Amino acid sequence: MNAAQVLNGLALGSLLMVLSSGLAMIYGLRGVANFAHGALYMSGAYIAYSVSDRMGFGLAIIVVPLALAVIGVVLELAFFRPLQHRSHIELGLITFGLALIAERLVILIWGEKTLRVRPPEFLQGTSTIFGVEYPSYRLAIIVIALVMAAALILWLRLSNVGLHIRAASQDIETAAIMGINVDKVSLIVVSLGSALAGLAGTLAAPYIALDPGMGNAFLITVLIVVVVGGIGSIAGAMIAGMGLGLIQTLSTVWSPSFAVLVPYLALTIVLLWRPTGLAGKRIS
Amino acid sequence: MTTTAPADDITGDMVEPATVKRGRPGRMLIGLGVGIAVLLVGLAVPYVVTDTYRMSLLLDATILSMLALGIGFMARHLGMISLGHGAFFGTAAYAVGVAITNWGWSPLNAVIFAILLGSALALVMGVLVVRASGFGFLMLTLALSQALYQLSVQISAREWTGAYDGKLITYEPDMTFLGLTQADLINPGLFWPFAWSALVVSGIVLWVVGRSKFGTTLEGIRENEERMRFSGYNTFLPRLIAFVLSGSVASLGGALFAMNAGYISPQILGFTQAGDSLIAALIGGFGIILGPVIGTFLFVYAQANFNFGGNLHLLTGLLLIVVLVFMPGGITGTLQKVYRRIRGKDRQVSDERGRSGRDIASDRADASELRAENEQ
Amino acid sequence: MSIFEGRGLTVKYGAVVALDNIDISLEPGLVHGVIGPNGAGKSTFIDALSGRKRPSSGKVLLDGSDITRRSARWRRTKGVSRSFQRTSVFGSMTVGEQLEMVARKNDEPDLEGIMKTLGLDEIRDRVCSEIAYGTQRSVDLAIALIGQPRVVLLDEPCAGLVADESVRMLDHVRTVCKERNVAALLVEHDVEGVFRTCDVITVLDLGKLLATGDPASVRADENVIRAYLGSAA
Repeated sequence: MNAAQVLNGLALGSLLMVLSSGLAMIYGLRGVANFAHGALYMSGAYIAYSVSDRMGFGLAIIVVPLALAVIGVVLELAFFRPLQHRSHIELGLITFGLALIAERLVILIWGEKTLRVRPPEFLQGTSTIFGVEYPSYRLAIIVIALVMAAALILWLRLSNVGLHIRAASQDIETAAIMGINVDKVSLIVVSLGSALAGLAGTLAAPYIALDPGMGNAFLITVLIVVVVGGIGSIAGAMIAGMGLGLIQTLSTVWSPSFAVLVPYLALTIVLLWRPTGLAGKRIS
Repeated sequence: MTTTAPADDITGDMVEPATVKRGRPGRMLIGLGVGIAVLLVGLAVPYVVTDTYRMSLLLDATILSMLALGIGFMARHLGMISLGHGAFFGTAAYAVGVAITNWGWSPLNAVIFAILLGSALALVMGVLVVRASGFGFLMLTLALSQALYQLSVQISAREWTGAYDGKLITYEPDMTFLGLTQADLINPGLFWPFAWSALVVSGIVLWVVGRSKFGTTLEGIRENEERMRFSGYNTFLPRLIAFVLSGSVASLGGALFAMNAGYISPQILGFTQAGDSLIAALIGGFGIILGPVIGTFLFVYAQANFNFGGNLHLLTGLLLIVVLVFMPGGITGTLQKVYRRIRGKDRQVSDERGRSGRDIASDRADASELRAENEQ
Repeated sequence: MSIFEGRGLTVKYGAVVALDNIDISLEPGLVHGVIGPNGAGKSTFIDALSGRKRPSSGKVLLDGSDITRRSARWRRTKGVSRSFQRTSVFGSMTVGEQLEMVARKNDEPDLEGIMKTLGLDEIRDRVCSEIAYGTQRSVDLAIALIGQPRVVLLDEPCAGLVADESVRMLDHVRTVCKERNVAALLVEHDVEGVFRTCDVITVLDLGKLLATGDPASVRADENVIRAYLGSAA
């Protein structure tokens, strides 16, 4: 095990962290596991491909999350809000349908073949860190993700809106009665969660190859991260995401076929040992 | 590990039509009679449908219906939506393949072994998952079945599952399965009686179980798990038994699938297969036992006829959303509602009184909930 | 002679002490009321006694033996049952179906009698989610009474009921308790109702025991008057 492997683990963990914090936010507030989250991430990556092709990657990292935020607004207004009185499972299955549609749309627009995105010039080389040569772009992923995570946590802890989000995630009905505009909070959370999925997709685009199955492959891992982290707990999801990324990457070194099973093992162990997840409300 | 019944637990409109009136042995007999009649009439299908391709579609739908039937049983009686029943279907299919190809077992023994193995897996998985409800259950079943998929495609599993290449079942040259030779097995018309009987018998068994006292216990758990515990009921064991039973039906389907197809693609354990079956069951509706079966037949039909340029999932995604948003009981549930509306016009008055009582109830429940909230 | 006891029950939610070292003892044929202002810990108390919430410390005793760690299900089979503040019935089943289901598990020689007493015999074929709320509260109570429990813990049976429904509900509770010689614990919001119904009353405030005794002495207790009744009456 060397520093490069640890850094690889951090890079994967960073992506999982960004993606699962968005999923956890939506889950915490709306009580719905958003099965379209993988599709949002994939759409983000594909949009990033088109944007960086025309306008450069630097712009993509700003434009894509904004575009996904807009999709999030549509999700909230078209589905989450009008159907909020339906059972959460039904709503979850609707997002499942949305994921199927999105997956096919991506193929219709971008085709089925694997696509690659080049990172920006200045990040294409390697940097020396902890005595190893390491791809600069992956370092950038780690830095951006950590900064984002810190900013998100601070915003949730310190801002007024953050307070409202935390209150509404505890108990949406009581929050509404206490005068919190739950519709507004929910709109912010769903669009922010989608934007985070878009950011994760953009960050992932130059790191991994794009193919239409990438959303589903990641979705399952991210759902596991959110359950392991404790449903609705954003910090829990972040920690679990980073931890899982590290463990999975490092166990690949030891045994690749074991590494594939790490998320599932982690899920089973955590749930047997602590049914509510590492930091969480009960699973329901 | 405690699970109170959250809003999540009850799938609301999706299972509402499931309210069955029990304690009328006459109805049970009528149901059994209808079941046997359906069984006999169905056996005539190969004589009516002479086109081999059509026949093979019907056979596929029949076999896949057993998977949907298992999923539907959990949803209908416990309000638990599973994305993991593909694991039992797939495991049983692989078990048939391994027992025949690797161990040289006779097909009948292989099928029995496969059903037992699939059920045993359901037992192990059930112990881990049935305590969860709502999304917890959905995600756990998904995760564990995906773990199995990952295992099945490992290089180290190649000897057993063929990994990504899939598993071709190779028979001893002179083997027969219940009188069918290897060539007969892939003939949909000749295999049909086995698949059809298996489906109808499974359906009848699940229907009878659902109407038994055990079915009432399941309904009680679905409606209010906590109150069942506080009424002296063990709520874990009945859920586990229901899970294993529904898993056995899916295993039976998987074993027959392998016998008929002779080849097992790794996708059988994949996310897409699990999702497709669930969607088919949802579209059919969980309200009556036939719902998932009807959904599966429609799904297989659509797959064969409307899959323009691979857009099947675009269409199923749309259909799933339309069904969930506008007709949450699925096709059968909606038909039932329409039927009741036509038949029950004269009962409307009493219905309306009932409904207003319900509204008041929920308002008051909200009020007392608030009070409880304040108290803490 | 008490059959059901709580000794030194303490429940903590993190740093918050919701229930602080409370003792209680129930006797057959007596209705024991528990009152207290909002936040007094009444719900936590009944949850700790019924096994829904494990106390941080303290014991629950049945016939003198420790049952603190026993499950809700075990307690029910040994004759300790409870009702719920938020109506807890089986919505999709008819009234008759669900009472019979509970009666199957807990031997009940006189289900008809319970249904008659609570006025449920005429609506046995109605689906429970479609009957009036006050009647649902009666179904909730009936579920708790099936199987001749020796101890019944009632969590605000009158929550959400209008005044005359409340009176009837408390009358039922008292009748059943006396007729069946049940030890009943009645947690209630409705102070006057409790004074009218109960033989013994315990007053909680902010998780602490304020007073306990017969209605007259509790009514006269200075602490109670200051902390609670003073503002209400």
